[in-house]
Amino acid sequence: MLLEVRDLVIDYRATRGRVRAVDGVNFNVPAGAVVGVVGESGCGKTTAVRAITRVMPSSAVFAEGSITLEGEDIVQMSDREMRKHLWRDIAYVPQSAMNALDPVWRVGKQIEEVLVGRGGMTKKAARARSEELFAMVGLEAKRLRDYPHQFSGGMRQRASIALALALSPKLVIADEPVTALDVVIQRQVLDTFTELQKQLNLSVILVTHDISVVAYVCDYVVVMYAGKVVESGPVADVLDNPGHPYTMGLYNAFPELGGEDRELSPIEGSPPDLLNPPKGCRFRARCPFAIDACLQDPPEHTIGEGHVANCHRAGEAGELREIAKRTETWVGVTSE
Amino acid sequence: MNQPLITVEGLTKRFDVSRSFKDVFTGNHPQLQAVSDVDFTLAPGETLGIVGESGCGKTTLGRMLIKLISATEGKVMFDGKDISEMTRTEELEFRRRAQLVFQNPFDALNPHFTILRSLTEPLHNARVPREEHGQRIAEAMSMVHLPALEHFLQSFPHQLSGGQLQRVVLARALVLRPDFIVADEPVSMLDVSVRAGILNVLREVRDTMGLAAVFISHDLALVRYVCERTITMYLGAVVEDGPTAAIVENPLHPYTKALVQAVPIPRVDQSHAPLPITGGLPDARNPPSGCRFRDRCPLAEARCAAEIPRLREVGGGRRVACHLVEPA
Ligand SMILES: Nc1ncnc2c1ncn2[C@@H]1O[C@H](COP(=O)(O)OP(=O)(O)OP(=O)(O)O)[C@@H](O)[C@H]1O
Ligand SMILES: Nc1ncnc2c1ncn2[C@@H]1O[C@H](COP(=O)(O)OP(=O)(O)OP(=O)(O)O)[C@@H](O)[C@H]1O
Ligand SMILES: [Mg+2]
Ligand SMILES: [Mg+2]
Repeated sequence: MLLEVRDLVIDYRATRGRVRAVDGVNFNVPAGAVVGVVGESGCGKTTAVRAITRVMPSSAVFAEGSITLEGEDIVQMSDREMRKHLWRDIAYVPQSAMNALDPVWRVGKQIEEVLVGRGGMTKKAARARSEELFAMVGLEAKRLRDYPHQFSGGMRQRASIALALALSPKLVIADEPVTALDVVIQRQVLDTFTELQKQLNLSVILVTHDISVVAYVCDYVVVMYAGKVVESGPVADVLDNPGHPYTMGLYNAFPELGGEDRELSPIEGSPPDLLNPPKGCRFRARCPFAIDACLQDPPEHTIGEGHVANCHRAGEAGELREIAKRTETWVGVTSE
Repeated sequence: MNQPLITVEGLTKRFDVSRSFKDVFTGNHPQLQAVSDVDFTLAPGETLGIVGESGCGKTTLGRMLIKLISATEGKVMFDGKDISEMTRTEELEFRRRAQLVFQNPFDALNPHFTILRSLTEPLHNARVPREEHGQRIAEAMSMVHLPALEHFLQSFPHQLSGGQLQRVVLARALVLRPDFIVADEPVSMLDVSVRAGILNVLREVRDTMGLAAVFISHDLALVRYVCERTITMYLGAVVEDGPTAAIVENPLHPYTKALVQAVPIPRVDQSHAPLPITGGLPDARNPPSGCRFRDRCPLAEARCAAEIPRLREVGGGRRVACHLVEPA
């Protein structure tokens, strides 16, 4: 296993108190796999994956848990040790690609900076490598001389992916890399990831809120809800046989282009405040299948090989899935 | 067929863009043609989707339709009247009958106004008698499935979720009982779990209010859920127009084909076939000669560089702007 995240807990110190943004998260990233992290806005996706780089806001606190990269715990490393791994082993493409690139420097210059400063390359070798990187993500070498604002949104995304790949890391963490793009450009960027994964045996963690994107590129998926992982496993298993009601609900909320014209059902209500999360299952108030047992923390239930759902009723998932497919199941659920 | 509610003829918008040093030196005033020569009609009660790549001019077109910005050339007729030549009273009436739903619910509402005040303001501006306000607001709130309860109406935007906010934004557009709305990416900022609720409201409004609507999105799956008819734009121009079902099942223009193929579906067994087109949107300041899509088109021929393809009827209520599509 390339990366193992175990029982990770991360708090933010805020004026209102401590916000537990990530609360006991577990997931694995096998070498050469694309792992999708999905969930509602504010559920802790960015916090959980950024923790892997340790580049966090000063208000963030690693409260518990471990992040093991090839046997070494990142959480326990000194800053100096950690710096050795950044770019070389782990690279991060932030949520807005605008932030990845400095607007005042030419894009090529920024890539060279990393190659020379971090990678110890000569200027000449760095220039050749920059061209190679741009070719890899499908950009013309002459565009290295452009400033970020001269790029379209899709080109900027590709350039920030090229930057992340500069020192041939084993793992690229891309936070919502296609959210702001239209479908044609989105497809091109996603295909770039798949190609690189095949060519370079790269592992990718891809954060998104779109399960279609997950279905398109990912091998594994981690579904988060209110700071916790509610379900994870191989993509086909999770999407075809969801074990957690939240995953079932997500599926019904998606219009499908080619499919029949079924009525969509929203998941009513909103996620709990992470400052004061309810005890027990956090999805309870929005769940059509909630029972008294849900006042207790949900157990981890194994559904299939590597496929886990954290739900008291995961054993009945087969029946619940059928009920969840009906629109009326989701009407008027919210209880709190 | 009904008399159209909206007729758009030769609608064009050019923006001045910043001048380079050389432009200043040579007295050049570069312009960008964001919308080029767009024609279409919209019947009362019809819902029209507008799809296309980012930057292709969808928002600019939508803003011209409700006179938020003026056209450089061409005109928009609303109920038989040119919207640029309206008297003050006609204009006031137009402002009531045509409404815009903004993309981002988080900054569409004044953060210092209660929800009630945000909903009352348009009624006030349209000089709706005060004694009708309560009932109008209750009606609009029920259309978007929000409780018209006192405590809800007295809350401020930051106290509501994204989905609730977007419903309020929609209610604010509906409170004047418009005949026409333009919704510019009304769900793109919302979480998937709440998005479905807004899409359902838009569908209901379409079916029950007989409202004509233009729904702008780059997601064809959303458009299909809400609109009977769809227009595809590419670099400012309409390249395809027809019933949404027909376009999704059998797109005719090569760009629409790529667009349909590129939409991912929430299932693992989907096509990973490479898209027929490559590259990104060309520079709107220097569009290619002839067909604007030709430099990305897998089928382009010499003719495509020489001649601008006109939007032509091809049967089945469809129009396509491509030299290579034969009329049925
Ligand atoms: N610097 C911070 N200080 C305090 N709270 C924070 C900070 N950053 C994030 N949070 C809170 O932590 C929670 C998780 O935030 P995070 O950005 O990880 O979510 P996310 O799943 O990436 O959301 P999105 O889909 O909107 O990007 C949220 O409730 C957020 O408000
Ligand atoms: N006020 C303006 N001044 C100059 N150029 C503009 C202005 N508004 C828009 N443009 C340009 O006009 C073109 C069309 O923009 P528009 O916002 O209409 O596109 P869009 O299809 O809505 O894109 P998106 O999907 O990204 O919202 C773009 O090239 C844009 O840069
Ligand atoms: Mg995030
Ligand atoms: Mg727009």
